[in-house]
Amino acid sequence: MTLQGGTRTFGVSRRSLIKAGAGAAGGLGLFGPSALPLISPRSAMAQDAPLTFWQFYAPGGQVASQTTWFEETVASWNEQNDQQVELVYVPNSDYMDGTKLPTAFAAGEGPDLFIISPGDFLRYYNGGVLQDLTPFMEQEAIDDFFPDVLANRMVDGKVYGLPMEVEPMAFYYGLRAWEEAGLTDGDIPQTWEQLLEVGQQLTNDQRFGILFDTNPGYYQNFTWYPFMWQGGAEIQNDDATSGMRDPGAVAALKFWQDAVNMGVAPRTVLGGGGWDVAPNLSTGYCAIQNVGIWAISALAENAPDFEYGIFKLPIPEGGEYTTDLGGWAFVANSQGKNPEAAAQFIVWALGTMSEDSIQRGVAWCTEAKSDMAPRQSVQEVAEQGGFAEGPLAQFAQEILPGGRAEPRVTPEVYNSISVAIQAAMLNGTDPEQAAEQAATEIEAFLATYDGAPIL
Amino acid sequence: MSVASAEKSADVRAGRPIAPARRSRLSQTKREWVAAYLFLLPDVLGLLLFVGIPMVLSLSLGFFDVSGFGTYTFSGLDNYRRMFGDPLFLGSLQVTIKYVVVLVPGLYITGLGLALLVKRPAPLLGVFRAMLFLPNVISLVVVALIWKFLLVDRIGVANVLLSKIGMGGRSWLGDPDLALWALLGVTIWFLMGFYMIIFLAGLQEIPREYYDAARIDGAGAWRSFWDITLPLLKPTSFFVLLVSLVAAVAGPQGFDLVYVMTSGGPANATNLTTYYIFDQAFRYSNIGYASAMASFLVLVLLVFSGILFALTRGGRFDFD
Repeated sequence: MTLQGGTRTFGVSRRSLIKAGAGAAGGLGLFGPSALPLISPRSAMAQDAPLTFWQFYAPGGQVASQTTWFEETVASWNEQNDQQVELVYVPNSDYMDGTKLPTAFAAGEGPDLFIISPGDFLRYYNGGVLQDLTPFMEQEAIDDFFPDVLANRMVDGKVYGLPMEVEPMAFYYGLRAWEEAGLTDGDIPQTWEQLLEVGQQLTNDQRFGILFDTNPGYYQNFTWYPFMWQGGAEIQNDDATSGMRDPGAVAALKFWQDAVNMGVAPRTVLGGGGWDVAPNLSTGYCAIQNVGIWAISALAENAPDFEYGIFKLPIPEGGEYTTDLGGWAFVANSQGKNPEAAAQFIVWALGTMSEDSIQRGVAWCTEAKSDMAPRQSVQEVAEQGGFAEGPLAQFAQEILPGGRAEPRVTPEVYNSISVAIQAAMLNGTDPEQAAEQAATEIEAFLATYDGAPIL
Repeated sequence: MSVASAEKSADVRAGRPIAPARRSRLSQTKREWVAAYLFLLPDVLGLLLFVGIPMVLSLSLGFFDVSGFGTYTFSGLDNYRRMFGDPLFLGSLQVTIKYVVVLVPGLYITGLGLALLVKRPAPLLGVFRAMLFLPNVISLVVVALIWKFLLVDRIGVANVLLSKIGMGGRSWLGDPDLALWALLGVTIWFLMGFYMIIFLAGLQEIPREYYDAARIDGAGAWRSFWDITLPLLKPTSFFVLLVSLVAAVAGPQGFDLVYVMTSGGPANATNLTTYYIFDQAFRYSNIGYASAMASFLVLVLLVFSGILFALTRGGRFDFD
């Protein structure tokens, strides 16, 4: 045990604790000293073993084109390098809000490479397991990334993750339901009020008009933030107070609450959750769904005959348009087998000015998936191809401008906001009261928080 | 005559010298003790390795601030103090108490009721018993997914059927006033077959003659149930109450069903303490805090189990 900073805190390593436990067991005559390597297999692991890359796309993922992209990327690296990379598929339900990654890191067995969303960035950065990628990147390539998109993967000017995509949120609607309700293009809602009115017209005893995510979790928060921003509220103000009690946040809570109370929005969603478009929209469970750009490729893959339209997020009276720009990033484990090689792999895959790297980004955003580009060079090439027409063009020209990067928050901040959303939306709690509670909790947390900045 | 003594007699008859019997260094009683311990050893080892040591480690972790990334900082009783000031933990305890108060009697009544129903000889009895027990052999995740689908808002089978009698349109898993009841319904449906089998075994232990005598004395079915069945089922009842109490507080069905069907929502209405512990450990990496809550939960279970044992004098019953 070691004293830290003169306080009465004792730093004990995980290994020491486990060894102590195992030693106690040994004292009971159950284990000899030779049992210890069984508890810590990593110590016996060969240094040149493949780097493990955890993600939810390959091998065997849901969308074939995305699986192929990952497999081809890794195969290409493996052909050119001695340090091999091995893809490890983790089902989406175990990845987003799941236990797989946290458990692995808690056990000291985290993967060498993995993907994270901005919502999880601070958890891993503050945990000290993200490798600095900056030394492996050219300044030109760093500058090539859109500053807002890269900012929430950076701390103190250093890059800790490279985004593979930008995923704006929008509303998708089924054309058949729209026409059956007698609606036309002129009825595309511009304001929250109009959205609720249209939602009412589309609601019947078999179908909900509008679908917002209802499951508590990072994703629900992510989808709610733009409505808060549109009214001018922020999670954290410049004076370290929380903007959750501001009118914009209260109005956003009330907007979702009204949608549920009016019977326009459901209290539960189908499939994997609110991000899952095929089980909710194309089955007719809802007529309009609040979902991101990835729904284009998901519908093409899972419901190719379904006809739909897209419109950007309506705004409150007097509000300003914005949307949430999500997206996942490649990161390397600084405590992995070979953190330098892992960093090199990420930079090679997504962050050089080479033709290969740019084309890889284009292929991901326009062929494998349907996403906006995180880099200027990728965006320019894509605009001549995949972004030139159809739904992707609508996203590039109409929905993306004005968007804001998904905020990075700590689990504590996320949780306070999540409780407020759930309480107002599904429990009928007064939005003002729910917002005040969240603001108080966030401010109490921020008073002692000393990790990387919340953005 | 045993084989050994037959051989001995044959040797005597043939005039062959008899080999002296090999004497064991251990007495018969001690050899039986050794055999018993050897039979118990695998179970004891398994329990120590997979239950005992993790419990000791978990108890220890409750006194540490654990980052989830390999750093352990001794924090004394901080986690325990935090627990009693955490509204979400206290809320989860309230949800758990409601869950236990409904589930334990619910399982007792349905288990016993079903056992009484399927005890009497009837055509296809085996099939009915198997059907009632069948949910227990299905994965809890599959059970949860099927029920989640059946209970979906508006288009779920439950709502479609209820709408025929004017009771449709409910959000069974999305309304905080209904979600815990829906969860309890699914849990009872899932577990009642298991307790039915236990009660059935208890019922078959009751001698038939008691009922015959009662009938001759003019007792009806209801009187026989109260004066013969229930008293003689005391040991079974004790077992069912104890096991269902443990299952209600910390059983896998509580966690699995909540994880798949509601994620603790809506608005924490189904946030059982076991699920909240999981959330803190794996979603927020508060492993020390989660361990402290788990230790507290074990303590609560021990206290209630102790009370049950005390009330029944250690599970011993007389039938005066």
